[in-house]
This record gives sequence, C-alpha cells and structure tokens, in this order.
Amino acid sequence: MTSLLEQTPSLLNVVLLALAAVALLAVVLGFVTYAIYFERKIIGWMQLRPGPNRVGPLGLLQTVADVAKLLLKEDTRPKSADKALFALAPVLAYGPAFAVLAVMPFSENIGFADLGIGVLYYIALSSITILGVITAGWASNNKWSLIGGLRSAAQMISYEVPLVMSVVGIILMTGSLNLRDIVEAQRDVWNIIPQFFAFCVFLIAAQAELNRSPFDLPEAESELVAGYHVEYSGFRFAMFMLAEYVYMFGMGSLITILFLGGWLPPIEALGFIPGIVWFILKFSLYVFLQFWLRATMPRIRADQLMSFAWKGLLPVALINILLTAFFVSYSNGSF
Amino acid sequence: MLGFAKGLGFTLKKLTEKSVTHKYPDVPYPFPPRFRGIQHFSPEKCIVCNQCARICPTECIQLTGKSHPDPEKKGKIIDTYDINFEICILCDLCTEVCPTEAIVMTNNFELSTYSRDELFKNLKWLDDNNTNVREEN
Amino acid sequence: MNLSLPEELTGKTGLRTEEMILNVGPQHPSTHGVFRLVAKIDGETIKEAIPVMGYLHRGTEKLAENLTYTQIIPYTDRLDYLASMTNNYVFCHAVETMMGLEIPDRAEYLRVIVMELQRIASHFVWWGTYLLDIGAIGPFLYAFRDRETIIELFAELSGARLTYNYMRIGGVKWDAPPGWIDKVSEFVQYMKKELDNYHRLVSGNEIFVNRLTGVGTYSREMALDYSLSGVMLRCTGEKWDLRKDEPYSIYDRFDFDVPTSTDGDCMARYHLRLEEIVQSLRIVEQAVAQFPKDGEIMGKVPRVIRPPAGETFVRIEAPRGELGVYIASQGKDKPWRMKLRRPSFVNLQILPDLLRGENISNMIAILGSIDIVVGEVDA
Repeated sequence: MTSLLEQTPSLLNVVLLALAAVALLAVVLGFVTYAIYFERKIIGWMQLRPGPNRVGPLGLLQTVADVAKLLLKEDTRPKSADKALFALAPVLAYGPAFAVLAVMPFSENIGFADLGIGVLYYIALSSITILGVITAGWASNNKWSLIGGLRSAAQMISYEVPLVMSVVGIILMTGSLNLRDIVEAQRDVWNIIPQFFAFCVFLIAAQAELNRSPFDLPEAESELVAGYHVEYSGFRFAMFMLAEYVYMFGMGSLITILFLGGWLPPIEALGFIPGIVWFILKFSLYVFLQFWLRATMPRIRADQLMSFAWKGLLPVALINILLTAFFVSYSNGSF
Repeated sequence: MLGFAKGLGFTLKKLTEKSVTHKYPDVPYPFPPRFRGIQHFSPEKCIVCNQCARICPTECIQLTGKSHPDPEKKGKIIDTYDINFEICILCDLCTEVCPTEAIVMTNNFELSTYSRDELFKNLKWLDDNNTNVREEN
Repeated sequence: MNLSLPEELTGKTGLRTEEMILNVGPQHPSTHGVFRLVAKIDGETIKEAIPVMGYLHRGTEKLAENLTYTQIIPYTDRLDYLASMTNNYVFCHAVETMMGLEIPDRAEYLRVIVMELQRIASHFVWWGTYLLDIGAIGPFLYAFRDRETIIELFAELSGARLTYNYMRIGGVKWDAPPGWIDKVSEFVQYMKKELDNYHRLVSGNEIFVNRLTGVGTYSREMALDYSLSGVMLRCTGEKWDLRKDEPYSIYDRFDFDVPTSTDGDCMARYHLRLEEIVQSLRIVEQAVAQFPKDGEIMGKVPRVIRPPAGETFVRIEAPRGELGVYIASQGKDKPWRMKLRRPSFVNLQILPDLLRGENISNMIAILGSIDIVVGEVDA
C-alpha cells in the first residue's frame, strides 16, 4: 500500500487509495460497533447480568439498532446555541480521530502512510480533538456543557504532556520517530520491559486522553449530566461517540506498536502465525482492559486529576527520560 | 497501592459467574404465595357489608347493592362493584377486612394498558380475574 | 488612568470572574429523585447552595387527618420507600404507646427481624447509589443483587416487594411462613462473608479513598446544632443510637455495638454505614436464635382503634436517623394531627453549610453521603 503512495498519481492510484481508505473506515466502524457491543456485554457479565440480548442473535445487532436510531432521530439544536460552531464541533472532534489512523502500521504489509515522524503526527493531530470538545461545550450555550468542555480541555492538555514525555524514552532507544522502525527495534525485547515506567505513565495518560474510566470526568454523567455533549443528539451525538471509540482504536494501535511489539510474535517460534493476528490479539487485550477498568473504577476528582498529572505522572516520565538517556549514552560508549 | 488491584481482581472473578437476571417476560416471574396482585371478586359471596370500601385508604372501591331478588331471603346482593386501578395501591386491606372472602388477592399483576379508562375495572372483569387466586387471605 | 477593578470583583488573581447560577436538578441523575439544588458558582467553587424541596410533596401529614389509624399504615410505606418497615413500625408504635397495648413476643421478634433486614437493605441501596454517584457502576449491581434476597424474603412474608404494609396496630399481619426463619439465618451467614467483597471492591480503592477523605467535614457541635441524627451524627463521635439509649421494642435483649467515628467526613460515614450492616446482621442473628417457637402475632386490640384523647411522640432509629411520630388524638378513630420527624429532611438542612466553598465535584459526594430519600424529605 505504501508503494501506491510513492508512485506518480494517476486516476487508478487515487481510486485505489480512496477504496483502501473506505475499507479502513469500514473496519473502524465495524470495530466501533462491536467494541460497544462487547463493552456492554463484558461489563454486563462482570455485573452478573447478560448484557444486550434482544436485538438479533445474542444481541449482536444491538449497536446497529442504536446507531440507526441515532441517525433517524430529529436533529435538534438549542435555540440559543451558536449555529455554526455547534455544527462544526462534532466534525472537529471526529476528523482528526480518523486521520491519525493513516500512519498506523497494522502489520508488515498492511498500513497506509509510512511517515518519518509517525509518533509526532499522531500526537499533533489528536490534540485537535480538544478544540472540538471546547467548541461543543461553548457553542451549546449550556452551563453543564461549558463546565464539561473546560474540564475536558484542562484534562486533555495536562495529560498530553506526560503522554508525550513517556514516548520520548522509546524514541531515544530507537533513534527514530517512525512507527515501523519502532516496531522493528523490538525484535529482541518489547519496549514494555525496558520502558516499564513509561508504559505505566502512557497507559494512565492514555486513559485520560480517551476520557475513559477512571478519568471520564468530561462526561461524568452523575456530576455534569453528560458534559460537553449534553445538548447534542442524533447524528451529531453519534459523531462524538464515534470519535471516542475511534480514538480507542487509535490509542490501542499506538500502545501495541510502541510498547507491545506491534505485529511481532512473543517468541520467534510462533512466527508462522501472521503478524496481523498478533496485532489484533495485543490490541484486543488493551481494549479489554478498558472495559475491565470501567466495570471497577470510581471516577477521580477534578482537582486531584490535575495534581496527579503534574505532580505524579510528569516527574516519573521525566526521570524515565533521564534514565533512558543515560543508558543509551552508556551503551553507545559516550562515557 | 494495591487497593484498586483487589477491586480489579474481584470484577475479573465475577466475569465468569452466572448472571442473576430474571428472564422476565420470556419466563414468568414466580411470586411467593402471599403476593398481592390484582383482586378477584366473587359476587355470590359478597354480603354488601361495605367494609372494603370503607377501609380502602385511597377510596378506590365503589359498590352498590340491591335487595335480594328472592323476596323470601333477607339481606342484599351486590349490584355493581368497581375498583379504580389508577389509584389502588394494592395494600391488601380490603381483602383483610372482608368477612366472607368475596374479595381476594391473585398473583396476577400485569395491568399496563394504553388508556387510563381501561384501569377502571368493573364487577365482571374482577369476577373473571379468577386465576392464581391467593390461598390464605 | 486606573483601569483596575475593585478587589471584590477580581479576587486575588486580578482577573474578573463572574458568578453563575447552576441549577442542579430536579432532573439531575445524582439528586436521588426530584430534589433540586440551586448553586451559585464561581468557576468550579460553590459560593452558595440553596436546596429546593417539595417536588414530591404528597401531604401525608394532612391526609392522615382524614384516615383511620389502620389506613395510615400504607401511607407510611411511601415516606421513606427504602425503609418501609421502620416507617410502619414507628407509626404503629406511636398508636400502641397511646393505647398502652401489649405486643406478643413473636410479633416483636418478627418486627425486629424485618426492621434490621430493612436497615441492611436500605444501606445496600445507599452503598450502590453512592458509588454510582462517585462514578463506579459495578457496586450498584452487586448491592442490588444482595438487596434482592432481602426483598424476596419480604415478599414472601408480606406479599409486596417495596410497600409492605406489614405491621398492624398491636402486632403484624402475617406470621412467618414455614422455612422463612431458616432462610433469614442463611442470608445472615452469606452476607457476613459477602461484606468482605464489598470492601475488596471499593473500600481500598485509592481513587475512592482520596475522593472522600476529608470531604464534607463538620464538627460534633455543628451536628448537634443542626440536630442531625443517625450516621450523620455518629460520624462526629457522638455515640447516640436510640436502639441503645432509649430501647424500644425488644432491642434491650440484643448485644450489639454502636459504631462511631470522630472524622466527620464522607469516608467516616461510608465506613459507619457498612459497619452498621455488620451490627444489624448481629441483631438479626440473635433474634433468629431467640425466635419463639409459637405464639400470637396480634395482641388484644379493640375492633375500632380509638386512642384516648391526648398526644404522644415516639422516636426510633431508622436507617437514616431518628424517625419520630407525633400524634394528637381527640379520642376519635382518626388522628387530630399527625406530625413526622423525618430524618432525611432534618439531615439535609446542613447541606448549604457543607457546600459553601466546596468544589462542584464534591457536591455530589457530600449530597450522596447524607443519604436522603426524597419521599421522606418532601413527605
């Protein structure tokens, strides 16, 4: 697929690329549909209830029915909302969520763009979503959504710092910002072992970035009713929901690539199994962790959330960078 | 630092446990024998003593009697008997005071309708509601 | 030209901020029904909070003036609908006190067993919904699973799952069905073990502990000034439990402790409620062991209940605090006046004081820890 990008653009190339993008979109939408289904099922099982089981066999079509309902719903907009921004916000939130998937290498040969600065691209684009969230909170002209929007802006900006800092260690070790190179550098040992602290920091910061439990403050339904999307319904709400789950897809891919060795098998002997299977397995493990946490954790308090990011995670990430830099220099014989 | 890990362990253990959900309405929900459902009324037992209408805390029972058609016999027989299930709280007091057990509870409880008017049940409906009648009253 | 704004507008930061009125409820997920709170906030800090009550007002006290004594019992079910049994009891107890009725032993034991089970069930609901407010969805379902056992026991005993209408003046309506007592003791044994799981799931969680410790603190003096009762009072170190200090029914026959704490914060209230479940289980266990083999369940009661002219006030320890009933009788079959001292209503009065200067995210934690039932607040 990468080779397509490098050819001179012709009609055929463009159509092929567009088809590939649509195929990825279909995969992502399929993932979102069944991630929501399994989220509800797994949390249901953990809470000793069966979960969705009415629509379709085993409730498999539940999410399809839910989405259909959202799409067919009347598009309501509060009278005093800012018309243009209100419509723009869901697009701002969803657009980058899908765009970040362009750099993800899912296996040796499945992947789209092979950017030299893949990590940077992901982090830079994913920040745009915050704008969507603030815009939504502001444009709705609702006090709850304003508080929710501001909270989530503060949260996502704060946690972006330790998130980026924790990746620096890996970049130092690999010497590259390219996601493919990072995976290939994990042939001997996955980054989760030498970079364990970074992994912990990244995992926690990723939860906060995704606005998922225990950091689901922006939409804390028991405090802020529904946070920034309180006034959204129907299709626009579906866009926010989609953005959230697509980010889960993106973050799951990223964590697999950065820390869990991407498509590499855990031991060389299992190399005959295609890389994509390993990728899906590791990725599913991360997604399961999300559901598991959601079934267990209470929500952290807003002020503690901030101090945890700046006083807890950031120092750990910085120390990790320092230690990594020291060891990398040492092994290069700089001392 | 292990506090939340304990919680995670607990929820993981629960993942494989059997669910406790009742399969209602696919499977009928079994209520215990003393359950207070919709009343059954048997007009032949009623002696029109009016006690049920008087004890009802929400005044949802209305009844009228007429004199016995057989002039030989004394007393009254029931003419109309209505319970308004919009306000009935199924408190069991009417069945408790009834001296002849003309009004008794049943285990039926499904009363939902599309119109409030349908919640106004008359003598015939209450007489026909004769399944799952409660044993002890 | 001096452009700076006066200090009271800008605060310490020098930035001008505006206050905002935030309407919490009556349709807010964490106000437990139709309670409303009008909060004046500055940023995320609450300047002032005014509780607005009465959305669920049904005029129980006034209605009672036109109802006979037996007819009032189903109405008491609907005050604190999570603890109908204690409401039943306090009303019957008031009338029995006025008439000087003797209650048979078996009826008293049945009453104590159901009241203590009710306390446990009520605390389960509190535990589950409080954790739901804090953001954990799991505990709610575990608590309701165990509460379901109690509800089913009650349904077997009285025929209803929530509004039991079980007690009568002079006794109880139903005797325990065969095997019921065994089921109760089975539940007690099960619950003693299961409570550890409650602690395992929640009590040690760092996020939870950090969220509640030191939040919503008040002193013993303040609690007494606001005439708080129940756990709201005991969390400040005041050891006051009517079951011990003014034993009613047959509570003097049981051996149990009154857990107290001196912290006075949400965490103390959380632990006290769970500890109360343990103590209630102890009482039920002893009551089941002492349960009389046979005997009447109704005392000698006149056909028409007409308490002598006069007035009386009785109070008991309900799950939420001191529940009192005042009845003024003129010797008729209907009370001349009935007044209820509802613990939820009284305990709620401290809320504006607790919320002043707090963060919005603490608002829900503090409101939840008071454990209100809006049916009882609004009566």
